[in-house]
Amino acid sequence: MDPETVNFETEMNRGFVQILVLSLLQKDAYGYAMVRRIRDLGYEVEENTLYPLLRRLEKNGWVKSKWEVSGDRPRKFYAITGAGRKLLAALLGLWRKQNDILKFLTKENASV
Amino acid sequence: MPVSDKLEAYLEDIGHYLSGRAEREEILAEIRSHILEKAEQEHGDAAAASLEKVISTYGPPRRVAEKYLEGRSVIAPAYNRYLFRYTAFLFAVHLALTVLAVAVKKSFIVFPFVFMPRLDIMEALMYLPTAFLADLGLVTLILTLITRSGKDVKLPWPRFAVDLDEVKPTKRSVRNIVGFAVMLAVTAFGLSVFLKYGTLFFARFDLDAPRLLFAAGPGRRISLLVLGLLAAATVGLFVKIFTASRWTNVAGNVAALVLLSLLLRQPLDGALAVPVPAKLIPKIELALVLTLLVIAANLAVDLVKNLVLLGWKKRRV
Repeated sequence: MDPETVNFETEMNRGFVQILVLSLLQKDAYGYAMVRRIRDLGYEVEENTLYPLLRRLEKNGWVKSKWEVSGDRPRKFYAITGAGRKLLAALLGLWRKQNDILKFLTKENASV
Repeated sequence: MPVSDKLEAYLEDIGHYLSGRAEREEILAEIRSHILEKAEQEHGDAAAASLEKVISTYGPPRRVAEKYLEGRSVIAPAYNRYLFRYTAFLFAVHLALTVLAVAVKKSFIVFPFVFMPRLDIMEALMYLPTAFLADLGLVTLILTLITRSGKDVKLPWPRFAVDLDEVKPTKRSVRNIVGFAVMLAVTAFGLSVFLKYGTLFFARFDLDAPRLLFAAGPGRRISLLVLGLLAAATVGLFVKIFTASRWTNVAGNVAALVLLSLLLRQPLDGALAVPVPAKLIPKIELALVLTLLVIAANLAVDLVKNLVLLGWKKRRV
């Protein structure tokens, strides 16, 4: 895949991963568990992309975190906030609208 | 290397690129927790081989750190173009002041913070790179503070000589060939006069009994410097016939500035071979110095313009 195509893919992924993470955090979760869950859903998110994203979401007040020691290891658990839920609802609305437009156009192009 | 040391060394490498102690520790703690858990869950243990596998898939330290730094530019992209323009502008002022310091042979202060020490030619050449770095540092600091403030500050856009966007690259043309031919003729004529009379300056040019303007020693020195200026211009035009590289202009500007500085240091007092009232000498000297300084200032502006264009070209590649 040429670098320009990779760039487009990265840009598309960025928005999707934000919605995905906010959706996953309806239940508290820590980073590694989220990576596994996303993989189980048939998608891949690099760890070194997920953690900086979680940090940015937390800085903006859309998620909150706390360290918990379960077993013998400390883990940082994340949870969506009220502001995060509002953001998620807005993003999902936008995604549905975009999806409808693309579906319509794909259908229209197929009949040409 | 023990297992934990390997992981800690990796985390330390990432930490090198991150700022803020508390934030750095928090980020590294989370990565540590993730790597250990992934090694255990996916490779059965947190032994050296498992950790190495996990670390290799996590990514190179710099790349990992950069993901946390996205959107945190030292200078916001919108202000990038100001960095070179403002530095060039400041350096042009600094360069002109340096030429002045060499010419007047005195130290002086330009309010509020530029102190120009008394400089000779060599000291000035050593001083200029430091001045450039100081100018670059000052502009970087200001743009960084503006970026950090997060405000939309509209900065003025100083224009000197010509704007970069309006400049067309130098073309090899007939003009260069004609210019070279003219300069070659002038230089050759000057050289022949110098070889015959030992000077280029005459109070009265009479082939049989020429009257010299300067005494023998100073006349020879000043003439050689002027011949050097003519030769530098000729060589510059010759090279420009074959290449459009702006480095030719830069080299020409630097050579001319050095020769002009040497010329500025030649004392007029006692150099004249014709009788001139003593009180007129300082006035003549001032007029000559001012003329040479105007030429030097033009050269300095041209030099900075060429350096800016070279930097601009590199950034666009």
